[in-house]
Amino acid sequence: MGEAMVKAFRWWWGILLAFLLVALSRFVLPLAFINEVIIFSIYTIGCSFLLGRVGFISFGQPAYLAVGAYGTAFYLSYFGTNPYVGLLLGVLSGLAVSGLVGPLFVRLRSDYFALVNLALAVIIYYLMQKVLADITRGDNGLWFLTNIVATPVLDISSPNQFFIFALLVAMAVWAFYKYLDDSIFGACCLATKVNEDKLMFLGYSNYSVRLTAFIIANTTTALAGAMYAVYLGFVSPEITSPARAADPVVVTILGGTGTLYGPLVGAIAYTGMKDVISKLIGNWELFIGFLLVFIMLAGERGIWGTLQPRLQALFSRNSAPAAMDDRATKRP
Amino acid sequence: MPPHSPVPPHNEDLLTVRGLTVSYGESRVLFDIDLSISPRQIVACVGRNGAGKTTLLKTIAGFLKPLSGSVTCDHASLVGRMSYDIARMGIKYVPQDKKVFSDLTVRENLELGSYATKDYNWDRVTDYFPKLKQLMDRKAGYLSGGERQMLMIGRALLGSPKLLLIDEPTEGLAPSIVTHLKTVFGDLRKNTALVIVEQNLPLVCAISSKVYALKEGRVVAALADRESISVDACERYL
Repeated sequence: MGEAMVKAFRWWWGILLAFLLVALSRFVLPLAFINEVIIFSIYTIGCSFLLGRVGFISFGQPAYLAVGAYGTAFYLSYFGTNPYVGLLLGVLSGLAVSGLVGPLFVRLRSDYFALVNLALAVIIYYLMQKVLADITRGDNGLWFLTNIVATPVLDISSPNQFFIFALLVAMAVWAFYKYLDDSIFGACCLATKVNEDKLMFLGYSNYSVRLTAFIIANTTTALAGAMYAVYLGFVSPEITSPARAADPVVVTILGGTGTLYGPLVGAIAYTGMKDVISKLIGNWELFIGFLLVFIMLAGERGIWGTLQPRLQALFSRNSAPAAMDDRATKRP
Repeated sequence: MPPHSPVPPHNEDLLTVRGLTVSYGESRVLFDIDLSISPRQIVACVGRNGAGKTTLLKTIAGFLKPLSGSVTCDHASLVGRMSYDIARMGIKYVPQDKKVFSDLTVRENLELGSYATKDYNWDRVTDYFPKLKQLMDRKAGYLSGGERQMLMIGRALLGSPKLLLIDEPTEGLAPSIVTHLKTVFGDLRKNTALVIVEQNLPLVCAISSKVYALKEGRVVAALADRESISVDACERYL
């Protein structure tokens, strides 16, 4: 029993520590900022998994974010008032759309995959802005904040309680991706990225591995979209704007591609820079651009990819369990 | 049929290749290849670089589609099947390049093989290659060439395949490892048929019960009995 608990703690401690720090930051940082960071990190983790594990770069993540957000928004605007049901419908919408387009998209090479996803984001943007304007109210967007009713136990219509809910969801998402990283499926994803022929020698279908990874990643993105919708009580086509298509890729690279905690660190850095630097200079994206160039030239490892080996060395010197294990940063 | 020592069709053949012609785009690399392998037999394919040996193995393994001809295993046609389907049928290809999944540990590499075949018994693998036991937690990217070859063959053994297609297994390996592989191949024959593409003629002659010599995409000789298989006989056709 004791051994099982130690084992469980070793597995969980990295996630617990990471989100404990996020929770503690609530006392020094604005709630809106922390909620945005948590949702943004969930938005990014799917992109990071696709890029770091499967080798697929996607510039169409806003499409799946919008599908999740609008799935929730339609329900809360026209059909019901329970935010949990709205969240569930948002996630199911993401699952359905990625299951629908995935069989076509994952057959493509990585560069075409990036572009076809971007095309999907553009299609959804114009669908929501113009074609379905009668339902989506076009650029004005859907407002449903007042429709959301208070829920028992954890009332996510309140920003404070939404923060606790978002924290719990994020921990569950991280645990799920850590489990994936440790699983045979995670190894298959890495193997399909490195050498697809060799994976087939072993009897695996690259197509099935990629499709499963695609659906998992984009359903997670839809979850982030649904959370945005419930948190803001508002959704507009701007959520899938092609101008924001590179955001999750930027955050992924900034945090450290393929690392478990990279999306969280990247989301904190990106949102922080956006909030701080945008107050000082108008064109804050220019700064992000220069930063990315610097990161690429410095070795492509991102913030967490650079910090993690140093922290690991520090912890191992102090004989602490080295459980914050990111396979991608330990590559030969 | 091969022009020199024709091998008659065998009712009990595990793998039969008939009239196989393969091209890369416009350029034909295999012409009307015939060969057969019985269960628990070691068959070697010899020939100079560019003779078409690797292309032959890749075509059997489903990575290349032939222009014409048939490949059958246990009366089931392999032509048109996906390579992962062929692997699931128990025909495993061990490529020449010794590229393992370098980001994964030895254990994870074996787990990949186990999960695909649902064979989680690694005793046979570690009996043949005891060194792998000590290397379980090492990233495969840090293994030597010989250790990588052991890992690749060991991983292919999971699921007890009926046929192993091994491309240049001893290329670039130390003599002691070549001797070890020779013993392993001799022992594997008890349960598995092997097709080995190899340039090491003494090894080929020591373990094979049939040798096909390929030249410029054609089978120029089939040495089908132990007496006729010798280094000199093989060299004659190269």
